[in-house]
Amino acid sequence: MTDLAKRFPFLQRRPDLRGAVVPAGLVLLWWLATALQWVDTKIVASPPAVLDAFWQAAVGGELWHNLGASLQRNLTGFVVGGLIGLAFGTLLGLSRLAERLVGPTFHAAKQIALFAWIPLLSAWFGFGEPAKVAFIALAVFYPVALNSFEGIRATRVELYEVARVLGLSRTQRLFKLVLPSAAPAIFTGLHLGLIYAWLATIGAEYFFSAGPGIGNTMIDGREHFEMDQVLYGLVVVGAVGLLLNRLAAWIETRTLAWRVRPH
Amino acid sequence: MSKTDFLTLKGVDKRFAVKDGELSVLENISLNIRQGEFISIVGGSGCGKSTLLRLLVGLEEASAGHLLLDGEPIRGTDPERGIVFQDHRLYPWLSVEDNVLLALANSPLSPAERLDTVHRHLELVGLKNFTRAYPAQLSGGMSQRVAIARGLVNRPKILLLDEPFGALDALTRAQLQEELARIWLAEGITTVLVTHDVDEAVLLGDRVVVMEPRPGRIKRIVEIDPPHPRRREDYRLAELRNDILQDFSQHQASPLLHPQHEQRAFRSYAMAW
Amino acid sequence: MSTTRAAAVPRSLPHWRWHWQSPGLARPLNWLSVKAGALLLPAALLLLWHTAVTREWVSAQILPPPELVLQTFLDLARSGDLWFELSISLQRVLIGSLLGGLVGLALGLLMGLSRQVEAYLWPLFQAIAQVPVLGWIPLLMMLVGIDEGLKYLVIAKAVLVPMTINTFAGIRNIPASYLEVAQVYRFNLVQRLHRVILPAALPSIFTGVRFALTKGWIALVTVELLASSEGIGYLMVDGRQMFQLDLVIVSMLVIGLVGLLLDKGLALIETRLQRWQRQAF
Repeated sequence: MTDLAKRFPFLQRRPDLRGAVVPAGLVLLWWLATALQWVDTKIVASPPAVLDAFWQAAVGGELWHNLGASLQRNLTGFVVGGLIGLAFGTLLGLSRLAERLVGPTFHAAKQIALFAWIPLLSAWFGFGEPAKVAFIALAVFYPVALNSFEGIRATRVELYEVARVLGLSRTQRLFKLVLPSAAPAIFTGLHLGLIYAWLATIGAEYFFSAGPGIGNTMIDGREHFEMDQVLYGLVVVGAVGLLLNRLAAWIETRTLAWRVRPH
Repeated sequence: MSKTDFLTLKGVDKRFAVKDGELSVLENISLNIRQGEFISIVGGSGCGKSTLLRLLVGLEEASAGHLLLDGEPIRGTDPERGIVFQDHRLYPWLSVEDNVLLALANSPLSPAERLDTVHRHLELVGLKNFTRAYPAQLSGGMSQRVAIARGLVNRPKILLLDEPFGALDALTRAQLQEELARIWLAEGITTVLVTHDVDEAVLLGDRVVVMEPRPGRIKRIVEIDPPHPRRREDYRLAELRNDILQDFSQHQASPLLHPQHEQRAFRSYAMAW
Repeated sequence: MSTTRAAAVPRSLPHWRWHWQSPGLARPLNWLSVKAGALLLPAALLLLWHTAVTREWVSAQILPPPELVLQTFLDLARSGDLWFELSISLQRVLIGSLLGGLVGLALGLLMGLSRQVEAYLWPLFQAIAQVPVLGWIPLLMMLVGIDEGLKYLVIAKAVLVPMTINTFAGIRNIPASYLEVAQVYRFNLVQRLHRVILPAALPSIFTGVRFALTKGWIALVTVELLASSEGIGYLMVDGRQMFQLDLVIVSMLVIGLVGLLLDKGLALIETRLQRWQRQAF
């Protein structure tokens, strides 16, 4: 297999830059295509135009206004859905009766694709902010509930016996054994929930009424045929998703320091 | 002042429900243990020696017979009976110190006194410099020391040891055996050790209870007369060991009944919420 | 009473405690009570739903009575409308999944087999995967319009990501010892692929297929809700616009059911596949 790195010395010095070659090539191609008028620049925005649109929006403050609105919505939905999901999952994990009664319904409802709830939610909550938050909360609820449930169920019998031998009370067992032992799974759920919440935020802005929000920025851009706006929205959506993901991973490793392996 | 019937087992049976009927794990176990005595229980796989310990700690209930500690029947678990399991069973999310503190969660001591007690016991097992470490950072031997400190910190009336060194390498095991002997001599606590290592049983025990499998029964009880502290290379100990090993060559535990069988039966209860 | 079964018991809290603790008659009785317990809540909800509507606690507009939902379902099924819309949706999923699945398979294979290809393409792939399907939709709408092409592309993107990742991981997780065997016998690339790499990576690839199809179905619903005049998602939008919530609920249930069937059906094939594998070795 021919290796580009052999022909370009800088790639040999910095092999980690190899991943940037294809994206850079694509951007260059895009730039050439717009600069040399291979495509209609009225339809396909050029890279400088996208940068310019981004810059204008950042300086003019619309970007922050929209991003702020999206993030606030995202966070509200995340907190609401996360808390309900955690409480629900914990209950299901601790009580076999609850699991037998509610579990099957919960697992069945999980099958319905998230976005399929939108028409029904819009009928119940309207098209405004409550509907958006309800939708985001629903998106967060499932992964959090499912993972806390499974995490609690995976509590090791051996450690539970220790709690019995030491004579721990029910509350002590919950806070000293069950919840800490389920913490990694709960974090996985919250982490997934955070990713889903962001997805649901964009979705909510598409489907429900117009208003400030980064998803709305993209939808507006499409309606007015401004591809520069759509593209910078796309990049912002991806970047925020990435940041949220990193943030969750960072908090997770911090909080679960006890999982350290010996040196 | 030591009572000869501090811990008493009288005609204890234990049966487990299995898919097609019942499995008798222990049959007619009777035993008197003096206060301050060190009892070793040895036996091959499937002789029910671990089950016996679980009855004593209160994790299982006897199907028949009586278990009395200091005249009181043993019912359920109680901090007055401490146990060290083969797997250290430390809570991985708690530091060494907090793991031992957990045993004092319901003690009448003040927080400062608790911490002090914990530190004294960690010092006893030689871990006073590791109070802040997490279990994942400890070696197997160190983890087991923490488990011993956790078992002792409540000042229990009896300390139960379920193959506590079974998962350790030979050198660490020898070292911990000697430390256990030292701690026992210093604290004078009544101790029941379950092991499949006859050397260990003879080195540490005042008496060795030899068990035979299917169903688990006491075959005989051997007095280990050399006084404590003992030396591993003591000729008399070697003699006693060889004598006990004779028992095992007579009836080998058949491979049919695996320890896993016991473990499955142990799971017969769930968390009670 | 074999020890192998005992060994299979996982080291977590027994889930099925009530099954094997009590021998004899208690077992089927318990089984029955477990099943009955599972149906208790849905039955109660159904009753509540019915009462709430007939007593007019909530308006039938907001929550149509269960009888109406059932009736609508039967009507739709009888008239064939449901099957028509469903067949359109399934066709879209099929074409989109084939497209995305093949590209994903090729991408995963290439990146799995060559560290060079991985070094050049993995970061770009990650960046594309990072932005959810939903983010790509406005751009794709501008580039290809809102016709069938859009649906195929959206589904293909949703399918591509898990297919690539699972194929890639399946190849990378092949134990080195397998490859060393191939080295010892001096297999060429085709032989290595045919004898070692593909069979070893197959379980992971199949998991990718299962996961990908579920994702593809969800993506289809999304894109049909946003831009479509046919399909099961459109049926839902239509119901919502005319405020026929019975139609909306029927569509939701059908969507859930199809998703479930896809997942369970593929899981069944997966276990069959694995059983066959075990027998072969």
